[in-house]
Amino acid sequence: MSDADKTTRATPSAAKRAAATGGPAAPEPDDDAELPDELGRTTIGEGVVTKVAGLAAREVQGVHDLGGGTARAVGSVTQKVGLGDAFNQGVSVEAGAKEAAVDLTLVIDYGESIPRVATAVRDQVIKRVEFITGLKVIEVNITVNDLYFPGDDDSDEAARVA
Amino acid sequence: MTRDSDLGGTGRVRLARLAAQVIARTEGVTATTGPARRWQTVGAGQRIDGVLAVEDVRGRVDLDLHLVVGWPPQMPLEQLGALIRGRLRSAADAAGVGARLGAVSVAFEDVLAEIESA
Repeated sequence: MSDADKTTRATPSAAKRAAATGGPAAPEPDDDAELPDELGRTTIGEGVVTKVAGLAAREVQGVHDLGGGTARAVGSVTQKVGLGDAFNQGVSVEAGAKEAAVDLTLVIDYGESIPRVATAVRDQVIKRVEFITGLKVIEVNITVNDLYFPGDDDSDEAARVA
Repeated sequence: MTRDSDLGGTGRVRLARLAAQVIARTEGVTATTGPARRWQTVGAGQRIDGVLAVEDVRGRVDLDLHLVVGWPPQMPLEQLGALIRGRLRSAADAAGVGARLGAVSVAFEDVLAEIESA
């Protein structure tokens, strides 16, 4: 990997820099100060790490959903009007230039071992976030908010229909 | 800031179009115009989504590529960005406009799960 290919989590814009200066940008006062901007850089959007963590958690068997009851209820409404993102629900990420800390709220399928699922989620989130974003995950805090019982989603109304 | 539509440089549009072609040929990524369709290049009767091209006074064109990556990405985003940047430089050289290509910034804006794209 060349120096030109370093990744940052800031959102620099070559367009803004070029428009403002008429040429290459001045270096920024952080870890990326040595970057040769002539070749460009790679940035990762604010929501990407959060989404990666959420999607990674959902890959684990026994995870039924993410988010607390209120978050899921509000989320279902906002998603219907196109404002929410189901995959960010129940996920909170604090990310710096090199490290990230992840907080997850899970709903687990009834009958699954909570410690097993929590361990598997933690491993999967660390694996995916570190591979995809290059950030070191320093902690994954998991709250099991609810258990899902098969049939929880069935409505009484449907049952009354002959 | 000079607006894209005010710039008449054909090299700017040509490089933006080359970038769009490179993105289209790269598996697992798509370009995004972002909120309010602000990431696009307009010029020469064309609208190129997900690519912001700015030409400076020396005729050098800097490109910002705004991308959405499919889940799960097959390689680290840093590596994917470098791959796209390298392919674009090769394409620009082959098209004879490599000398005009300035900085190529690659921004990953979102991850698209399969269920979202269905």
